[in-house]
Amino acid sequence: MAQAEVFETDFWKDANLRKVWDEIVPGEPRKTLPYVLTREAIQLYCRSVGENHPLYFDEAYAKASPYGGLIAPPSIHILLMFSCTPADDWMRTPGTVNAGQSWSYNVPARPGDTITLQARALDKFIKRERLFVVHDNVFFNQRGDVICSGRGQTIRPM
Amino acid sequence: MTTSFDKLSTGDTIDGPSFAVSRESIRLFCDGSLDYNPLHLDDNYMKNSFGKTNFGGIIMHGMNNFGLITRMLTDWAYPAGAIHRRLETRWVKPVKPGDTIQPVGIIKAKQTTEKSRWVLIDVLVKNQNDEKVAVGEAMVEFPLTA
Repeated sequence: MAQAEVFETDFWKDANLRKVWDEIVPGEPRKTLPYVLTREAIQLYCRSVGENHPLYFDEAYAKASPYGGLIAPPSIHILLMFSCTPADDWMRTPGTVNAGQSWSYNVPARPGDTITLQARALDKFIKRERLFVVHDNVFFNQRGDVICSGRGQTIRPM
Repeated sequence: MTTSFDKLSTGDTIDGPSFAVSRESIRLFCDGSLDYNPLHLDDNYMKNSFGKTNFGGIIMHGMNNFGLITRMLTDWAYPAGAIHRRLETRWVKPVKPGDTIQPVGIIKAKQTTEKSRWVLIDVLVKNQNDEKVAVGEAMVEFPLTA
């Protein structure tokens, strides 16, 4: 599976490979990578926002719940955005400022899911001397079910 | 107290969890989200200006607000058998180490559709000075069986 074995945490390293605002073509698909979501990754994300619901941590509780097993919190797409894209993706450009997002949720992501992403820039514009890109994204599980879909705006570094 | 669609009224509030922001909490969010943008890590880099903006130091990820609002909504919805379906947010003010933030939800409207029931919620996150740092709206489904 084409998946980075070690996540590069130095976002400067491949900075010269990433598209700048001028090169981003609205409508063009972004390169994405399938990603196996682990229980450990879910729980690390949960800890970073103080999520402690037993649906994410307690297998017996989750199994007896309507969800029938452990799930990830809906906001797990925050992690998936980076785990499903390669190091040269422009979302990683240092200085990229998030200007707001909207997400719709269908089925929960679960530990063990192989997650895929379909993503692209949808639009770009200039407002008050700032360079904006609108991105849209849909995450799927290995059965082809939509997990969530979302749209966001980033202000590109100049 | 567990809520239900019938009991909810416009103006009802949902109190979210208080969250202390520190360099360590921001670093943990980098690890949890894999977002290692130097905006959240690198003090020297943050001495620069970004267009017309100078943040004066590292800032919390905007999506940390998003994750905290989500936590408030799901902790409120799960016991009622309700499902968090949508969240839209925008950031109003940067959040920095030393800040304490707290999300709140305010019921805006209830809507019944052909096959389900929905609650629209205004959400906002405030800091310790009662300043809004993030605003948005959410939609929670209360299935007819809930």
